[in-house]
Amino acid sequence: MFAIESGPAGVVIARGRLDAAQSAAAQAFLDTVRGIVALDCSGLEYISSAGLGVLLKTQKRLLGEGGKLRLTGVNRHLQDIFGYSGFDQLFEIEPAP
Amino acid sequence: MTVARAFARRFDELPALVAFTSEAFARESVDPALRPDVDFALEELFTNMVKYSPTGDAEVMIEVTGIAGGVEVRMTDFGVEPFDVTQAPDADVTLPIEARRPGGLGLHLIRRLLDSIDYEYRQDIRQSRITFRKTKGGVRPPERAADTGRR
Repeated sequence: MFAIESGPAGVVIARGRLDAAQSAAAQAFLDTVRGIVALDCSGLEYISSAGLGVLLKTQKRLLGEGGKLRLTGVNRHLQDIFGYSGFDQLFEIEPAP
Repeated sequence: MTVARAFARRFDELPALVAFTSEAFARESVDPALRPDVDFALEELFTNMVKYSPTGDAEVMIEVTGIAGGVEVRMTDFGVEPFDVTQAPDADVTLPIEARRPGGLGLHLIRRLLDSIDYEYRQDIRQSRITFRKTKGGVRPPERAADTGRR
């Protein structure tokens, strides 16, 4: 299961498993965001390389428009994935407490 | 003991794959903390099999076996050309964002998340077999960005 929605104060909340089957839905939602956006990943259990592609595409677009995507509440599995893929150099990442 | 199931060569089998690993981990008493890395490897390898041999009729056989401290997974693909996933080049993850393109990270990441991954091909029956292992105390590669102060 995967869900993505707008939360309070402009935060975007992602929950569940962002895998290849869900990447089109995630991309469609993130294509609508503008400016500096915090993506709350505290409920995001899993991300596949298709999900990484969604985040990268969104970050490239937002940076080009003067905005950016920040990733918050990032769990250990996601930290590993972001570290090994070099995404920790492309995004501001706030680990889960 | 081993838990095994065959999956049709279709992308929409992914939810069934996830349900299968959940069930197999429970039956083999494998630490659920290992599931995200195992699911990541299974999804990437399975989608590769579908993407690069989309016309094959044969199902992909997946076997999950509990081992000391973790799990061994075997994926067997029948009637296909060889593709050694252990030899695919790494992605350049040091490129600036302007030069980064979506894709190409799957095998790069798998080799870092797993303890081991092996590939065998039998020409006589055109069979590819990938075997990988993940354990709780598995070796982590030294180049992980988060551990090297690059952040």
